Amino acid sequence: MTLGDGVKAAALLFVAAVAQVSVFAQAHAFGAVPDVLLVSLVGIALLRGSVAGAVGGFFAGLIVDTASLGTLGLTSLVLTLAGYWIGRYGETTGRDRAHAPFLSVAVVTVLYQLGLLVVHFVLGESAPAGAVVRSLLPAIVFNLILTAPIYALVRRLLRPTPRDELTAEVQLLG
Amino acid sequence: MAPPSRSARAAVLASSVQRSKPTPYPSKARSALIRRAVVVGLVIVALALVTISFRSPTAGALHDVQGAGSTVLRPFQIAATRIAQPFRDAYDYVQGLANARAENKKLKRINEALRQKDIERAALAAKEPALAGLLHFEQGSSFPGGYRAVNAAVLAPPGGPFAHTLGIEAGSSSGVRLNAPVVSGDGLVGIVTNVFPDTAVVTLLTDPNSFVSARDLKTQVRGMVHTGLGGTLILDQVSKQLKVTNGDTIVTAGTHNKRYPDLYPYGIPIGRVSSVNATDTATFLQVQVQPYVNLGSLEAVAVLVPKKQHR
Repeated sequence: MTLGDGVKAAALLFVAAVAQVSVFAQAHAFGAVPDVLLVSLVGIALLRGSVAGAVGGFFAGLIVDTASLGTLGLTSLVLTLAGYWIGRYGETTGRDRAHAPFLSVAVVTVLYQLGLLVVHFVLGESAPAGAVVRSLLPAIVFNLILTAPIYALVRRLLRPTPRDELTAEVQLLG
Repeated sequence: MAPPSRSARAAVLASSVQRSKPTPYPSKARSALIRRAVVVGLVIVALALVTISFRSPTAGALHDVQGAGSTVLRPFQIAATRIAQPFRDAYDYVQGLANARAENKKLKRINEALRQKDIERAALAAKEPALAGLLHFEQGSSFPGGYRAVNAAVLAPPGGPFAHTLGIEAGSSSGVRLNAPVVSGDGLVGIVTNVFPDTAVVTLLTDPNSFVSARDLKTQVRGMVHTGLGGTLILDQVSKQLKVTNGDTIVTAGTHNKRYPDLYPYGIPIGRVSSVNATDTATFLQVQVQPYVNLGSLEAVAVLVPKKQHR
């Protein structure tokens, strides 16, 4: 990942985090909110790997926690793991598949919500499991709707790594 | 180009080549190590932040840093909110329109129901004075002794200038009998001329065939109230030598001779004398009576039923 890519990814995540806290957090429908930050992180992690996903998730989470004056590090923790997991999926199997962004967003939406629920529960804070479970399906639908345009934007900002770079670690015999 | 000889190929295949032990790809191993180190490090930092933030949520250096960060982010948040505001307004507008349509339909339904209720209440309220008057009459001193009242709503009011009957919502099952006098809160209405199990027909005082024995309450002059020429109510059979004055109250005369009991008990108000004339050619005074009861707008009446049933 080049420095230019890093700056672009950081700018995208910053804008997404601010928009998420300021705008999308208020767009309630059916108990769920569309998560533009999570979808952006998925795009970056799929295209730039697990380290970029983890680092991006950590700092995006810090912005969210800071802006929303929540428990600092809580969103960072969950987004770090989400970014890492999606990055690994992209590095191993999912990078070239057309359905990868959609599958990743659907799965990570569930894991992210459940992860937040677990962390809140562990901290002894309010953890309404029923409400979270009920909001899962609409949250997946909202995020899937956002996936196509946001992933296209991320692909435009961060050009996919050339094929030879991806397979540089494979040595040919002979 | 000559093909390789079989023996040479066999020699090559048979020779035991000592392969070097496969070494892990150094770049791959290193990147995996870095990757894991980064993730573990970030998770540890995040956990540390959570722990510190959770243990001292309102004070401490981290709290101050978070406050400062929040202050820095605030302009960006405001900018994002302002940028999104038109879209939010548009969404609210569309949502408001969608809701307004459903709400409009719902409000129309409620409005219709309320209007129905309002009409029902207004109808009940309109009946209230008539019912109150009736009750007042029944509890008053002028209510004839030996009778009980069967209250009934008016089903069918007089249907025009030529109709002098009305239908009431009480019949023989309620004790209503033929020729029973009918009153309202203001005075005499008429007499029952037809009885059905649950309804009855009342012939009004203004019917041309209706004759009521009456007297002037002030002068005790007796006469017969019936409809005269032109449809006005008159007190007839009053000798010119007797005195009747304007404004006198006319009431039913009641029974004089027990062998011939009157249909109407004594003392039911009929009307007020509105004019008294005497001509040389006429035998009797011409006494016009203005009935107390507005027979065209009756809501409820009471049928006076004798407590003792005559055989």
